[in-house]
Amino acid sequence: MAAISERSSTPPDLVVVDCDVHVNEPPQALAPYCDLPWRISLEQLGHVPQRYLDIPGYSVSLALDPPLPARGRHNRTVTTVRQMRDDLDGMSIDIGLLFPDNLLRIAVFPDAAYAAALARAYNAWLAEQWLGREAGLYGAVLAAPQDPQDAAREIRRYGGHDGFKAVFLPCAGLRPLWGHRSYDPIYAAAEDLGLPVMLHSVGLVHPHFPFNVEQFDSQLVRHPIQHEFALMANLMTMVASGVPVRFPKLKIVFTEGGVAWVPYVSWRLDKEYAETRHTAPLLEKPPSHYIRDFYFCTQPIEEPERPQDLVTMIGLFDGAERVLFASDWPHHDFDHPREVLNAPFPPDLKRQIMGANALKLLGIPAPAKRS
Amino acid sequence: MARIPLGQAEELPPGARRLVVHGGIEIGIFNVNGEFRAYRNRCPHQLGPACAGHVTGTLLASRASNWTPQWALADQVLLCPWHQMEFDLTTGHRIRGRGERLHAYRIEQVDGDLYLEL
Repeated sequence: MAAISERSSTPPDLVVVDCDVHVNEPPQALAPYCDLPWRISLEQLGHVPQRYLDIPGYSVSLALDPPLPARGRHNRTVTTVRQMRDDLDGMSIDIGLLFPDNLLRIAVFPDAAYAAALARAYNAWLAEQWLGREAGLYGAVLAAPQDPQDAAREIRRYGGHDGFKAVFLPCAGLRPLWGHRSYDPIYAAAEDLGLPVMLHSVGLVHPHFPFNVEQFDSQLVRHPIQHEFALMANLMTMVASGVPVRFPKLKIVFTEGGVAWVPYVSWRLDKEYAETRHTAPLLEKPPSHYIRDFYFCTQPIEEPERPQDLVTMIGLFDGAERVLFASDWPHHDFDHPREVLNAPFPPDLKRQIMGANALKLLGIPAPAKRS
Repeated sequence: MARIPLGQAEELPPGARRLVVHGGIEIGIFNVNGEFRAYRNRCPHQLGPACAGHVTGTLLASRASNWTPQWALADQVLLCPWHQMEFDLTTGHRIRGRGERLHAYRIEQVDGDLYLEL
């Protein structure tokens, strides 16, 4: 395809696992998998003109910026299993973990029953239409935060399915944040099934922190807030409420926020812990000692003017076994694997980041090497 | 040095472009408001196919504009299709970047014919 004009210079014996790629799930595709009465809604949406990540009642958007010629046309989508496999092959990616497009924003729906029905429909659609059809494509069970009990049932329903290797925790427009005790059934189920939970945000303008970015008049600054601030806010609440204490076997992954914020949060919380530990009484050790067991996906990988700074950065939070390559394909800010491959990481660290860490985390056997 | 004939200049009117391949290297040929430019089809950011991107203008503000955004560089801003990085087609330089630039090649015009010099 035109968007990938050159194959990367990936060494042939290097396994590349991409922890964040996106499938496009139009409402009409999910309709047959959705319970009534919401199936009627999805069928209805199939008859109205749809815009990219902007479908009323399905992928809620608030576009604030005045349009300009040729801008904002980065509406790449992947609609078939074959296309995804071809796209990933074009980037020498062996394994991709699938996330949705539109339902990245599922947390905004006030109707918990509708949100839960959408999540069930997506999971069933993914299992039937995407998983097990091409080598190296795996899914994440979508957990609707509005109905944690139903989300836990979904995790238990699909936890034994060969194709599902993680649980997707949506962050955009979420309230309460993922540290809230109401989500405990989700964590209990994920821990029981051995599935890592993966937090993933998306661009959104919404009243819930940190998506209340209406006063920022530039996308340049809205976008990092919508991603990194959302991950930071959720990480902080999860640490403070003792998620890693109460679910010690649970693996927690932060997606699409890069890595440079991790040392800041680790050191800042440790500093605070010296004075206010008693306000997070579940913690048995300093916050950074929990954070160093979390996982962080690379995309959007930071691009410091001195490339060596990126290597230093990962060392600052002992990330050698905790950083996971992700491309975010096919979204507008995707990272080609060679962006990480070309960073001056030592060879062993490169192998860990590009695939070995993810294979171990997700419980996926190493695939046969490319010929 | 190789000299590659590109055909008649009038076949590439202002705003038009062609992609040629020579020795496995993709090169974009642009007519930028009457001036011909040639750049390697490889973005210095993540090596995306920059020359396949849209050509448009952009917004710039400065003291001279009293910090008011101006529509600038009309029809001479190339947007890499991967991440929309902006390049000034007259120079190949990224607009207000870190010094990144597209790799440029010389174009000669002789008796109405264009030649690419590699």
